[in-house]
Amino acid sequence: MGIRIKNVNKSFGKHLVLDDVSLEIKDGGFVSFLAPTGAGKTTLLRIIAGLERPDKGQGKVFYDDVDVTDIPVRERNIAMVYQDFINYPSMTVYENIASPLKVSKNKMSEKEIDKKVREIAELLSLSDLFKHYPSETSGGQQQRIAIARALVKDTKYIFLDEPLANLDYKLREELRGQLKETFSYNRKGLIIYATADPLDALILSSHVGFLHQGKILQYDILDKIYNYPQYIEVASYFSNPTMNFLGANLVKENDDYFLKITDELKVKIDSKFKNKLDKREYLLGIRAQAINPNRQTKNDVIIKGIIELVEVVGSDTEIHFKYNDFRLLSLSKKIGSFKIGNLVELFIDPSQFYVFDKDTRRLVYRMVGEK
Amino acid sequence: MASIEFKNVSHSFEIAEGKDKLEWAVKDMNIVWEDGTANALLGPSGCGKTTMLNIISGLLTPSKGKVYIDGKDVTELSTRERHISQVFQFPVIYDSMNVYNNLSFPLVNMNFPKSKIKEKVMKIAEILGLVDYLDAPSSKLNSAEKQKVSLGRGIVRDDTVGILLDEPLTVIDPKLRGELRRQLKMIQSELKITAIYVTHDQHEALTFADKVAIVKDGQLVQIGSPYDLYYNPASPFVGYFIGSPGMNILDAKLNGSTLSLNGFKIELSKDITDKMEIKNSECQLGIRPEEIITSKERTTETISIKVAIIENMGSYKILTLIKKNGSNRDLSIKTRIDIDMSVSKGDIVYLKFPEKYLKIFKDNHKIY
Repeated sequence: MGIRIKNVNKSFGKHLVLDDVSLEIKDGGFVSFLAPTGAGKTTLLRIIAGLERPDKGQGKVFYDDVDVTDIPVRERNIAMVYQDFINYPSMTVYENIASPLKVSKNKMSEKEIDKKVREIAELLSLSDLFKHYPSETSGGQQQRIAIARALVKDTKYIFLDEPLANLDYKLREELRGQLKETFSYNRKGLIIYATADPLDALILSSHVGFLHQGKILQYDILDKIYNYPQYIEVASYFSNPTMNFLGANLVKENDDYFLKITDELKVKIDSKFKNKLDKREYLLGIRAQAINPNRQTKNDVIIKGIIELVEVVGSDTEIHFKYNDFRLLSLSKKIGSFKIGNLVELFIDPSQFYVFDKDTRRLVYRMVGEK
Repeated sequence: MASIEFKNVSHSFEIAEGKDKLEWAVKDMNIVWEDGTANALLGPSGCGKTTMLNIISGLLTPSKGKVYIDGKDVTELSTRERHISQVFQFPVIYDSMNVYNNLSFPLVNMNFPKSKIKEKVMKIAEILGLVDYLDAPSSKLNSAEKQKVSLGRGIVRDDTVGILLDEPLTVIDPKLRGELRRQLKMIQSELKITAIYVTHDQHEALTFADKVAIVKDGQLVQIGSPYDLYYNPASPFVGYFIGSPGMNILDAKLNGSTLSLNGFKIELSKDITDKMEIKNSECQLGIRPEEIITSKERTTETISIKVAIIENMGSYKILTLIKKNGSNRDLSIKTRIDIDMSVSKGDIVYLKFPEKYLKIFKDNHKIY
């Protein structure tokens, strides 16, 4: 049981936003649609929810194998949370949370409604705010009220469209942890979450679908898509911060094969992978976390770079540096003291390289191999 | 460029309204922004940072105190006379002009010779990465490029003493924001502009500035490098605000050398107790999630606590740990662990707080 979409196309004017998208999502998960702005994730979510229709005759949406393509959204048993915090300004927090139950067709008694509202409010830490109006609460609280209204209905499907995007970073950090906790609570249906933030996808999801130019490039369980991104586009975007890419040539020295980036930086190819490599040039990807100012493993290769920029992100430091002609990114733990223009010694863990085909842009293999 | 200074600057909007009881938007601030440095004012919305900016630029005259530029009192001077340039949230450019004319506009107004104008505009365009767009109508630029033109119009003049950037990334397309954030920093470090960047975003402030002033409720809470703010927060607020997740701030009670927390005790060494003037008091213990040692093995000096939430951050995990404590408030602690350490919700883990990373606060101030 779950949601299935089949050959969905959607255009706005001449612009094709979704290009023949098919996907089957099984119940019981938390699915993220991850993509940069403009890739079609919100449109896909809205089509699944019934807020948009696929282009005429171009695609179907099924809930539990029932074709719902032409069923209006209010007749579907779903809840939706938007980027903007939408609550009723003239109702108290309590009334806001209770409102979906009061208008529901399945009439509940006041007592049942009260029990349900309190249960959900407790889960989202809103119990102390019952008598307040939404305008008297913070942005994070307003979004939690909107989420409470979605949860209280006990619908099988809940859709969230970038609910954290409009919050500043401390609130986002707090609410993300709370969402994870909230949605692990007693749920049998399915949650679909559209986001442009790779961290949201990493922290919250059981499955991730990555969209690129109106197509789903990869859909997998979280562990698989993060550790084995099948395309350069997926690897680059679904890394936090973005992945480094370096061109490398396949060379033979004595009896061993290497992927050579520079004279000092070459990666030995395990014989079991040799047969996968039949081209001369490849693109090697490595996450910023695997390039570090401190030694990580005994096999680390040391390179020297010139610091071009230092960014502080949360409790980490991103060092942008130039190595030969490559502009690379290293992520180091804690907030360091690095000066622009200085030479820095960095350690690269060669087992963390991903080998990509430059032409097809597909993953050939990952050095460390299947776990 | 020049240095900018506040001496005992206070401002209340209610003086003008003639109210008796005053609320201070800015309270008795003393701060120097040195010539050629990158600075930030960081704080939550409503903290007074925009009022500070308006006092620097001359849009507001402070109720009390003085503003100096290179040691000269400018408190009574108008915005025009101060030569401070400002970049706002929304790019301010002339849409009807091309990029070249936008950049040259301030110089044309000052009657610069044409050849000199060209030389200066070309130099600025090169630094801003706008050389290829000089002939383009400004309306065709994307939001990040427009914002760079706004900045360029300020730095093209030699008599500009400083640049104020007021949340300059807010309306920039998210896809372009990261790139512009990096470019602003590079431009500042190349040109050695005296710059003050106002934001509520930790990432932007700590990336841009060598010196960050944290502002809360109209007061300076702390001024320091990103490194200082991270390692030596002067108050629980700074500890929590800088870093992600923020510093754990735990209620505690100090009795001689014993620090009692909700459900466990820490013995402090003489090194620490000697440095503290206060010996017996309610206080708060601060420790960063990444400094706590989390283990699955019990040893002496560890506390046991239950895993409530696990957040996988890709290269590490953040645990939210909760210890129920009878009728008292639950103890909630966040820690950062290696990605390879396997834990499940409901597991018991053991924590050790290395002494060298402990901070102790009382009444919102650091006492150790």
